[in-house]
Amino acid sequence: MRGLLASLLHEKNIQVEFVPLSYTDMAAKLEAEVTARAVTVSVVGGLATEIDYFASKGWLEDLARFGTLPGRTFVDTALRVVDEHKRLYGITSFIPWMTATFVIVVNNEAFKYLPEGLTREDVVMGTEKWTWDALVAWAKNIYEKTGERRVGLPAGAGGLLHRLLHGYLYVSYTGYQSKYFNSPEAVQLWTMLRELWKYCHPESTTWSAMAEPLLRGDVWIAWDHTARIIAAVKERPEMFTVVPVPRGPVGRGYIIVLAGLAIPKGAPNQDVAWELIEFLTRPEIQARIAENVGFFPVVKEATPVIVDPGVKKVSEGVSRQLATLDGKPVFIPMLGGRAGDFIAIYREAFERIVLKGEDISTVLAELEPKLKAIFAELNVPEP
Amino acid sequence: MRKTWIYIIAIFISLWILTPIIYTTIASFADARDYYERLIPRKYTLRYYEEYWRLGVSSALLRSIQVGLSTVAMSFLIGIPAGYAVGRLKFKGRDVIKVTILLFRVLPIVIIAVPLAVLFIRIGLYDTLIGVALIHTAIALPFVVLITSSIFISIPRELEEAGVVFGLSPLQVFVKITLPLATPGLAAAAMFAFLISWNEVVAATILSYLNRTLPAMVLTPYVMGTGGELPDPYKFAAATIMIVPALVFMAYIRKYLTAMWGAAGVK
Amino acid sequence: MVLNVNPKSRLFSPHFLVLPTLIYLAFFTGYPILYAINLALTGSPPALLQVITSPRLREVLFYTIMIIASVIPLQLIIAIFTSIFFLNRFKGREVVLYLFILPLAISEVAAALLWYTMLSSRGFLNKLLLELGIISKPIYFFGYEFRDRTLLAIVLTEIWRATAIVFVIIYAGLQMINKEYLEAADVFGFNFWQKLRYVILPLLKPSIQTALIIRTLFAFQIVGPIFILGGEYVRVMATEVVYWYSMRMNTYMASAWAILIGFIVLILGSLYIKLIKPVEA
Repeated sequence: MRGLLASLLHEKNIQVEFVPLSYTDMAAKLEAEVTARAVTVSVVGGLATEIDYFASKGWLEDLARFGTLPGRTFVDTALRVVDEHKRLYGITSFIPWMTATFVIVVNNEAFKYLPEGLTREDVVMGTEKWTWDALVAWAKNIYEKTGERRVGLPAGAGGLLHRLLHGYLYVSYTGYQSKYFNSPEAVQLWTMLRELWKYCHPESTTWSAMAEPLLRGDVWIAWDHTARIIAAVKERPEMFTVVPVPRGPVGRGYIIVLAGLAIPKGAPNQDVAWELIEFLTRPEIQARIAENVGFFPVVKEATPVIVDPGVKKVSEGVSRQLATLDGKPVFIPMLGGRAGDFIAIYREAFERIVLKGEDISTVLAELEPKLKAIFAELNVPEP
Repeated sequence: MRKTWIYIIAIFISLWILTPIIYTTIASFADARDYYERLIPRKYTLRYYEEYWRLGVSSALLRSIQVGLSTVAMSFLIGIPAGYAVGRLKFKGRDVIKVTILLFRVLPIVIIAVPLAVLFIRIGLYDTLIGVALIHTAIALPFVVLITSSIFISIPRELEEAGVVFGLSPLQVFVKITLPLATPGLAAAAMFAFLISWNEVVAATILSYLNRTLPAMVLTPYVMGTGGELPDPYKFAAATIMIVPALVFMAYIRKYLTAMWGAAGVK
Repeated sequence: MVLNVNPKSRLFSPHFLVLPTLIYLAFFTGYPILYAINLALTGSPPALLQVITSPRLREVLFYTIMIIASVIPLQLIIAIFTSIFFLNRFKGREVVLYLFILPLAISEVAAALLWYTMLSSRGFLNKLLLELGIISKPIYFFGYEFRDRTLLAIVLTEIWRATAIVFVIIYAGLQMINKEYLEAADVFGFNFWQKLRYVILPLLKPSIQTALIIRTLFAFQIVGPIFILGGEYVRVMATEVVYWYSMRMNTYMASAWAILIGFIVLILGSLYIKLIKPVEA
């Protein structure tokens, strides 16, 4: 990041100080400064959900007055969020900065064991044949032909398995992340997952990220956050292909993680701040950001400009996932302090249903009220 | 016992202790891909230590040292007088007090840490080095008292009485005669307190967030996850870094240890 | 062992000297305990009640007891036998002794990482066995499916690391046994096992009691190795405290678990003291 900012200094003589802060610290700082009208921060970069919170509190400037940014088209999903904010808060609260999602990485070896009816093309382009059931069949085939369980999921402590559950599987099978937690479609989902787990590498429960297992060759098909697999693809781009996730009966559910740039209300040097935003959203700079952090450009013109072959591969995979016709992108629900409880419910469901083999309906019925209670308490609609 | 058996057991014990340490240290310098394939890696690199330096292990290391030194200072300041009293002076309730002090260590640190965390948040000590040091002092204090009491016991009374004969006040006796004689033992006690702080992980984790000491930082999933986030040699480097003071300490403390523990245990 | 304190210098009265320590400990230990009890009893239903009635309790207790009940007896036995072993004089004895107590100074986190090196699927043991051709596929120690082996790994780590603590106490006690008793036993023609049973063990009782108390109480606090080696799926009471506090941001439940630990520890401690009456040799 600092390297990039150095070139801005060079070009326009703008000096930027880059300070990483945790979300809670950032929120506290903004609140204190904006209310006291003594703002020291010119640009804020954060996840869309975080910016959502800031905007709802009225801590951000309306960026519309700076005009448009030429020479770049933002991806639709990003613009949708910007529009949503405009609807909710009446202002253009942020400019999209980068995006991430969770994808599937395939070791090219695995393509030798595709099951009947599924071609490489299907997987890579994300056609309607690339379903979760097809994945199970594929994994089973690998197991039968090689005796190894080659699918990997980050099911360990610190792993993001729960995102797979609520943002991918539940959306693909029930259309919603939580609304139909206990439903016949959900039962279908868990049955499929149980079947898939039979062909998952047993050490999955110790993994918090899939980069190493992929590189070691222990895992041939992995699902994880782009930032957690990028190291693998960067190191051995010829070994892997990054593909969109499979679809379920209702569609291809996936999570969009969006980060944006905003200007706090009453911030100093706002024109210069805008220049910084302009800089960070330029296609070339977007490409370079991607090369570094495992988050990806929100500007369509950026992808072709990426130099690193590994990063390029991941970026292509991400683009294809974003472009699938049956894609159902969702955002991680913003639940404040209850987020931990939300996650725990899904993880408990996983542990009891898939690992311990408890009866699906019983577990879902038991956990559903707890889930609903969270949304009731926060007074938000169920996602 | 026959000599051969003795040597066999001796070698077994040595291997049992040394193998994990040596292999881990070797592995921490090994190139990850090579390490995964071979038993004895052939390619080596300093990369992981460099990365650690970048990731902030150096700051965590520094913090651990700071907390450790503060712990030694505070526990000595508070504990040495008590150790002297308990060891040297005869007074009513001495045994009760001795047991009580020990009893305070009986309760798990986990119980103590959580409420203190809440308190610290309120008074602004949360996520500070001094906060962690205060807890570590509480943990180390009973040991310091116990150890120093047995050290002071072993100092010949005649020397102290000689000091009194020469007209020194009790405080002067203590400072000019007792302390210098006790220095080697006190040094050992200091190292002990330092190590308790250095190795302590539970309270350090609960009481800090950004400003973590080394073990606390290692325990966080980012660095820790036996998961796939980082290649294994990173963990080995972390372990090696944490072990080094232990080795230094043990080399020094050899002589004193059995005496100290013996005195404390059989009572 | 008495130094007559000059009555003029009240400042150095023994009670005054110990006071700072007592106050410090009372504050840093007493206050948190009271506060924790308070936290544990808040909530509706009270957090403590939630913990006791939660379905997780059984699993957590199971793992806690399994680990502690495996580790402590083993450590005691190993400590006693190695103590006797070290009574022998042989060349290099000092070195081996030093090595054996080396782990005293190693933190539980470091020890866990060391044993991860040894037992992971690409670790020392597996690579050694593979190279020797004894196995063709790695033996997995970590992972939900291999929970039992993970327990084994944790027990192994604890034995490696903490036996030295028990050893040092027992060893010191052993050295204090009057040689005459052992010589008398020789005269009577006792063999090793008889000597052990009728002379050594009874005389070691105080040391054993001390060691047991200290070891058990510390055993309930083990967190590092269990988190690192067992991940989310091996749960003991101590890890529950850290889990609820750090990952669920719930200080009430965390305190409830902590109080539960304290409660059990207190009961066990009193049991030890009652059952193993100290014998003055």
